[in-house]
Amino acid sequence: MVEEQAVDDHETKSEQERPQETQPCVTPDIEMKVPDLEVKQVTSEKPNYKLQYSLSGHTMSVSSLKFSPNGTMLVSAAADKLVKLWNAFTGEFIRTFEGHTQGISDVAWSGDSDYIASASDDKTIRIWSLETGSTAMTLNGHTSFVFCVNYNPNSNLLVSGGFDETVRVWDVARGRCLKVLPAHSDPVTAVGFNHDGTLVVSSAMDGLIRIWDAESGQCLKTLVDDDNPICSHVKWSPNSRFVLVSTQDSTIRLWNHQTSRCVKTYSGHVNRTYCIPACFTNVGSKCIVSGSEDAKIYIWDLQTREVLQILEGHRDVVLAVATHPTHNIIASAGMDKDLTVRLWRDSKPTS
Amino acid sequence: MNGSILSPFNVSHPTAIQTSLLDRASFAKFDPSGRYLATGKLDGSSSIWDLETRSTIRLLDGHVKAVTSVDWSRYSRYLLTSSRDWNVIIWDLASPFDPPQRHTTIRFDAPVVSASFHPRNSNIVLALLITGDAFVADLRKEHRSRTELCEVYDEADEGTKPRSAMTVARFDPTGKYIFIGTAAGSVLVFNSRTKAMVARHKISGAGTMRGFDFSKGGRRLVTNSSDRALRHFNLPIYPSPSPASDPPEYLDQELKPIYQFNDPINKTAWHTMSYSPEGQWLAGGAADHATHKIYIWDIVNDGQFVCTLDGGREPLIHLHWHPRKSVIASTTNQGNILIWHCPIPERWGAFAGGFEEVDENVEYHEREDEFDIEDEAETARRKMKREEEEVDIDGLDDAPMQQSTPVIPPKDDEDAAWADDEPDDDKPEWKMAIIMVEEDYL
Repeated sequence: MVEEQAVDDHETKSEQERPQETQPCVTPDIEMKVPDLEVKQVTSEKPNYKLQYSLSGHTMSVSSLKFSPNGTMLVSAAADKLVKLWNAFTGEFIRTFEGHTQGISDVAWSGDSDYIASASDDKTIRIWSLETGSTAMTLNGHTSFVFCVNYNPNSNLLVSGGFDETVRVWDVARGRCLKVLPAHSDPVTAVGFNHDGTLVVSSAMDGLIRIWDAESGQCLKTLVDDDNPICSHVKWSPNSRFVLVSTQDSTIRLWNHQTSRCVKTYSGHVNRTYCIPACFTNVGSKCIVSGSEDAKIYIWDLQTREVLQILEGHRDVVLAVATHPTHNIIASAGMDKDLTVRLWRDSKPTS
Repeated sequence: MNGSILSPFNVSHPTAIQTSLLDRASFAKFDPSGRYLATGKLDGSSSIWDLETRSTIRLLDGHVKAVTSVDWSRYSRYLLTSSRDWNVIIWDLASPFDPPQRHTTIRFDAPVVSASFHPRNSNIVLALLITGDAFVADLRKEHRSRTELCEVYDEADEGTKPRSAMTVARFDPTGKYIFIGTAAGSVLVFNSRTKAMVARHKISGAGTMRGFDFSKGGRRLVTNSSDRALRHFNLPIYPSPSPASDPPEYLDQELKPIYQFNDPINKTAWHTMSYSPEGQWLAGGAADHATHKIYIWDIVNDGQFVCTLDGGREPLIHLHWHPRKSVIASTTNQGNILIWHCPIPERWGAFAGGFEEVDENVEYHEREDEFDIEDEAETARRKMKREEEEVDIDGLDDAPMQQSTPVIPPKDDEDAAWADDEPDDDKPEWKMAIIMVEEDYL
């Protein structure tokens, strides 16, 4: 662990020394590491993720990670006001997007992997063009911190939520706000379109999950758990029949939104303070992946709800995780005692 | 998707204006997915509207005279515009520019009244000229040709009757046949592949044909004609052409309308008409000089008149029904487009979790054990047990929403095989690029 610390410090420094921007492609800023972790006992079916790369560059807590839909890139956003782009397979640093005046809480990819939208505490959302490397559009309208953002499947709309307790729908091409939904009575922690773009789900610190008709902006349903714990994240299942909800009672629940019933509960991790997202694995056996406040990453079996693997290595709360769309790769990052973005890979061939 | 949450009973025709789009359009047509609207204008340009953002996303400026018709390819990648400037332009919307790339320009010898794509292949174009002649332009390498569609006369009539001008030309939804309406009030049916006439239907009392619309499957046809009536027909099955016969045989049959719709009081004529996606309703746009009225008839219930929708003081000149939803786009003579929908009343109960709205007061009977205190361990165990059930997070329960509904022909269909030869690049997966408007331009 001591040795790793040294390596990280060095990497961070090199990142800072590097002349800022204007070099679209810089030398790889990565460190290939031999996984030095002990992995929990592994059977043939269990996932076997091992640390592949540690990427340094951010100088403050990393809040969000997303793989591009085409699978080639990873984007990271952090409290240091920067959005950074990495090669998803080699961990190579690609570029930094600079422009926000406050920390960033969330990022999202457009469907064609050509644009990135970032939600910031400076009350704006910026859309970054990968082609030009600069801001293509700035969306103004939120009256407080913007906390979450997502594209619709056609990528012509964006939905965002924030500390002004509203959910907003935006016209991407013109940067106009189309709808303001007075959605919740507390900060909105996550929003997202379903697979065909007809529904929007939102979660908030008021403990409610709401489902909205995307076209009319009408509330169609509210899901609420008995204890009403703070909802820190919500995500649609690939077929939009379920929503995966993380709450700050250290539990992740899978809800069938049609029957309003919780069908699965995942626990074992620690989540009492931060908004930590959970996600589905896209390849191989179906799993749920989430960060945790004990600096670990938990992987559960979707059906049995058993913890299959715990990834250890981070030295602070893991705030962000992302799963690769086509490969067994997990990206993770977290709070500022450990500023690395880590790429974990399960190299076992997928059946 | 949200159909499962919304009530399944509010399937209805549009009843109210949702929004109006300011354009200078002479008509507006939905694409097969229903996401876009294409308009044609008198100045020769066309625009494409994104209905989700309600803004124009492309401006197609290619003609020097009025645009007379537009048509979308089946997956909306290609858009055709026809114009009085004698040209038909095919635009490729997959190009990430605004205006998009011109794919092809086809020049005719007279102003083009209307043009359309073959439903299975956008390389085959049907065009009707102001002179009353209809042509099939085949742009494929192996089939490159331009064929005029000629009405066949009986030998006895040959030469005695003047040839009647063609006033409407449409492919049927299968693409197997071309339907032509004439100034003499007949409907002629041609085989798209052989261009041979397979049928002539005399419609008695109709006068000049003004317009056609087909139901989705292509089995039903509604015609608009100069006698100010809309006629709804069930189409017969046409025999496959026998190549040996000379002169070519064709079906000569008078077609009797199942329903005939007209305005008995004002005797208004009709500009256009459009079937609803499932063919349950028919909407007719009245050619009234002072009002904007859409008449709705219920085809399933004996063609009953249902209601008129009043769109205000700007007279209607065109209407088109959305390909999938209960939505109509009607164009006013000022060039504005009204989008009609069927509003869903807001359910305030949806804001409260586990709350159910009832129409009337219901006396609540509590279950015997409703407030019994259950052992917590027992509750947890029961919950765990319930969670044993497998969940499917990938499978889609509702049938995949197809962009359009191509009519599936039998396997050995010669006409379909002909149309599918040298296919175009119109694939379901393509996506229209989002072009961001420069910030300082706004």
